[in-house]
Amino acid sequence: MKAIETDIVVVGAGPGGYAAAFYAADKGKKVIMVEKDKRLGGVCLNRGCIPSKAYLHAAKLIEEAKESSFRGVTFGQPKIDLEKMRAWKESILDKLAGGIESISKNRKVDVMYGRGYFEDSKTLRVETKEGQKFVKFSQAIIAVGSVPALPSAFDLGNPRIMTSDQALEVEDIPEDLLIVGGGYIGMEMGTVYKTLGSKIVVVEALDTILKGADPDLIRYVKNHADKVFKEVRLNTKVLKMSTSGKKIKVSMQVGDADPIEEKYDRVLVSVGRAPNSQDLGLENTQAEMDRKGFIQVNNRLQTKDPNIYAIGDVVGGAMLAHKASREARIAVDVICGDPNAFENVIVPAVVFTDPELAWCGLTEGEAKSKGITVEVSKFPWSASGRALSFDRPDGMTKLIVEPDTDRILGLGIVGVGAGDLISEGAFAIEMGATVRDIAETIHPHPTLSETIMEAAENFYGVATHTIGKKRDH
Amino acid sequence: MDVLLPPLSEGADSGTVVSIMVSEGDRIEKDQTILELENEKAIAPIPSTAAGVITKIHVSEGQTISEGSKLISVDEGGEAGDSKKETKKETAKEAPKAPPKQAPSSQQAPAAAPAPSKTAYEGQTIYDPYLDYRYDSKSGFPPPASPTIRKVAKLIGLDLARVPGSGNGGRITLEDIRNYFQHILELAESSRRQPAQEGSGESAPARKPAESIDFSQWGEVKPEKMSSTRKTIARRLQDSWNTVPHVYQFDEADISALMEMRSNYKAAYTKKEASLTLTALAIKAAANVLTQYPVFNSSLDEAKDEIVYKKYVHIGVAVDTENGLVVPVIRDADKKSVLDIALDLQALAEKARARKLTGDDMKGSSFTISNLGGIGGTHFTPIVNPPNTAILGMGRGVVKPHWTGKKFEPRTFLPLCVSYDHRVIDGADGARFIKAMVEAFEQFPESEIKLTQARKK
Repeated sequence: MKAIETDIVVVGAGPGGYAAAFYAADKGKKVIMVEKDKRLGGVCLNRGCIPSKAYLHAAKLIEEAKESSFRGVTFGQPKIDLEKMRAWKESILDKLAGGIESISKNRKVDVMYGRGYFEDSKTLRVETKEGQKFVKFSQAIIAVGSVPALPSAFDLGNPRIMTSDQALEVEDIPEDLLIVGGGYIGMEMGTVYKTLGSKIVVVEALDTILKGADPDLIRYVKNHADKVFKEVRLNTKVLKMSTSGKKIKVSMQVGDADPIEEKYDRVLVSVGRAPNSQDLGLENTQAEMDRKGFIQVNNRLQTKDPNIYAIGDVVGGAMLAHKASREARIAVDVICGDPNAFENVIVPAVVFTDPELAWCGLTEGEAKSKGITVEVSKFPWSASGRALSFDRPDGMTKLIVEPDTDRILGLGIVGVGAGDLISEGAFAIEMGATVRDIAETIHPHPTLSETIMEAAENFYGVATHTIGKKRDH
Repeated sequence: MDVLLPPLSEGADSGTVVSIMVSEGDRIEKDQTILELENEKAIAPIPSTAAGVITKIHVSEGQTISEGSKLISVDEGGEAGDSKKETKKETAKEAPKAPPKQAPSSQQAPAAAPAPSKTAYEGQTIYDPYLDYRYDSKSGFPPPASPTIRKVAKLIGLDLARVPGSGNGGRITLEDIRNYFQHILELAESSRRQPAQEGSGESAPARKPAESIDFSQWGEVKPEKMSSTRKTIARRLQDSWNTVPHVYQFDEADISALMEMRSNYKAAYTKKEASLTLTALAIKAAANVLTQYPVFNSSLDEAKDEIVYKKYVHIGVAVDTENGLVVPVIRDADKKSVLDIALDLQALAEKARARKLTGDDMKGSSFTISNLGGIGGTHFTPIVNPPNTAILGMGRGVVKPHWTGKKFEPRTFLPLCVSYDHRVIDGADGARFIKAMVEAFEQFPESEIKLTQARKK
C-alpha cells in the first residue's frame, strides 16, 4: 500500500493536538491529525473540562434557586430529567467538536479517525474504519493525553465503580456516592452529584483536599464541602472494595483507627490520571518514557527521537488543557526552526468547586518549602461589595510578593468565579509586574476583579475597603 | 559563596597574581590572605571576605585579574580535606591560563545556567557593569521581563539574566537590551582599536607592534621578564612623553641659609625620630608656592575640556627602591608642618622599600617632586607625571663662589628644573614659578622649621 506523505502528523485531537495541527497549518505545513475517538476534542471536550462544566452550570442553577427563598424568590422543587440533561451536554460537545472539524477543513488539516501506531521513526500506521493506512511524516507530535487511573484493586469490572469518564455520563443519581480522592476531579464531581441529590462522602489519603493550593484558600472549599457533603474524611485509606448485591462494600481506615465497612450505591475513583503512552509503538522509535509511562521531552518538547515531539498530559507536569495548548505552539515553532521553548513562568490552575479555587505562580506553601522569602498580601471578600451582593463573601484574594522588588510571584483566589479572575495574576507575573503596577491600574466597580487591586493596595497598607499594616511606599 | 576581588584603589583596577597562599580543600578564615596581588607599584595581600572550606580557586599565578574577578569559592559549612592540596598547586603553576579544576564535590551547576557564558565570564579581567552582571533570582523566577521581551531575547539568543533591568522592580525593557548591546559593541570596537592592552584601561596611541631583536648575535645576554611595576612605569612614562608637550625651566637656589637652619634643627628633629631632609623642606617650600600658582597644582581633563584646579596640595615624591621607582603621596602638604611632612615621608619611604605601599598611598597627587641630589648630578629634566601638570626636579647642591657685588662668597646652590605641561601652563608662568620656587628656598622662614607647635594629625 502506498503511504500518505505529510510534513507533520499529530496524534490525538485534544486541546494540545488540534492547537498544534492548526498552528502548523497556519505556518504552511501539510498536517494530518489522527484521532482514535469518534469525536474530536480529546478528554477536555468529551470527558473532562467541558462536560463537567456543563453539569456544574446546571448544578449552580439548582443551588441558586434553592438558596433564593430568603431573598424573597421561591422556586418549586426542581425536576431533573437526566436524559434531557445528557442530551443538552452532548449538544454542547457536538457543537464544539463540529467547530474543530470545520476549522480543520478551513485550514486544510486532514483528519484521520483511527488508532495510531508508530511503525518506526518516520511511519505511523493508522487503523481506520476503511482499513490500515500508513502515514510517512517528517515530524510527529504525540498528543494522546491521559486516562483516569483505576488501581487494579478497585477494578472489579462493576460499573458501579466509576472513573470520571463514567461519572460524566450520569447514568443515574446514586443515593450514596463515595468519592475516592479529594483532588479537583473528585471535588468537582462531588459538587455535581450532591446538587443532583446524592449524599457524598469524600475520602482522601492525604491530610488535605486539593493538595498544591495554599491551606488558607483551601479552607473555604473545605468549609463549604463540610456543609453540603455528608462528610469529607482526610487521612483515610480505602483498603478494599467488593460487590454486595446492588451496592459496593468498601472497607477503609481513617488514620490508625480500626477499619470500617460501609455500603455505597456508587463509587467514583478519582486518584489521578495515567498517560496514554501504551500501544503507541513507541518502542519502534527512539522516544523514551519514564517509569510512570510519561514520554520524556526537553523544554522544546523534543523526545529522544529527532523526528518525534510530545505535548500535553502524555509528557506529565500539570495535566491541564491550557498547558498542552501552549506546548503545542512551542513544538510547532521548534519544528519550523523558530526559536522557542517552554519558558513560561507559570501555568495557572483552576478548581471548579464551590467556591472556585484558582492560583498561579508561586504559592505561599511552595515558597516556604523552597526556602524562598516572600511577602503576602490578602484581601477578604467579606469586604467586597460585589461578593456581598450575591451573598457569597466566602472568598479571598491573595498576592505572593518578592520582597525588595515588589515583584508579583503568585496569585491565589478562592471564591465564586475565581477561575475567571486568575488570568490577571498570570498576566502580571508573565509581565514581571510589581504590586504597584496592579494597585495603580483602575479596576471597574463593582466587580470581583477589584479584590486583586485591593490586595495590591493592601500590600502598601492603603486598601480602601480593609485595614492593613502601613508600610513605606 | 564566591569571594571576589574587592575594589583596589582609585585608578588601579587590575593587577597580577604573584602568589596564591591557599589551596583547594583548605579551610580559610575571614581576613586570611588568599593571594598577593602586584598592582601598579605595590604588592598587596588580598584577604578573604568569607570563612569556610575552599572548593575552588578561580585564579592562577601570573594571571591578570581585576575588581570583581572571582578569586575562590568557599563552602561556608564544609569540611577541610587535604587530599587535593599537592596536585592543585602544581596544576596552577604549569598552566596559568587553564581554567581551574572542577571543585571536589559541591555545586553541580544547574542545567539552566549555560556553560559557555560562564566560561566567558571567568575569562574577563576588567570589571564591567554589564559583562559582570548576572540576575540574582531569590525566588527562582527568571528575570522580570514581558513575554514580548522574552521572545525578542529568544530570537536573538540573548540570556536575559545578563541584562540589567531599569524598570519598576528591575523589569527589563527593550531599551535595556539596546543599551546592553550598545555597550557590548563599544567594548568590542575599543578592544579592536587597542589590542591586548595590559592593565588598566588607560589609552595609549596605537604603535607599531614591537619587534624582537636577537642581541645574542653580538655576545652573551641575559633576558629578564619586566616586572609588573616596570611595565606600569614604562607605559605611564610613554603616555606622558607622547601626550604632554614638555617645557623645562631651569634655575638655581641659594640654599646656604636653609642648610644652616637644617643643621641647627637637625638634632631636635632626630629627638622626634624625624630626619630633617632637604626633600621634606622642598615639599614645604613647593606647597607654599603651589598655593600661589594653582595652575601648577591643576590637571587637564581632556574629555571635558576643563582645567581642574585642586584646593588640596598632595605632593608625590619619587622614591628609588630596589624594585624601581615609586611615587608615594604626602597629603595636604600645605597644611602640614615640616615635622609632619618629615615623619610622613619617612613612613612612606619605609613602606616603599618594604614593598608595602598600597595603591591608595600612591594616588591623588597634584604635583610631584623628584630629588636626585642625594645621589648626584646637576640639572636633569624630569618627565611630568600625569595627570599632574608639573614636576620639580632637584639636583645635587654644589658650593660655588658667589659674587655679592663686593666679594666672592662660598654659597651652596641647588640646581632646580620645573618641567610642565605646555598645554596648560604658559612659559611666563613657568618662569614666575621657578623664580618663586627659588625665593621659597632662599627665604625659607625659620618659623616653619622651629619645633614649636605640637604635631597636627
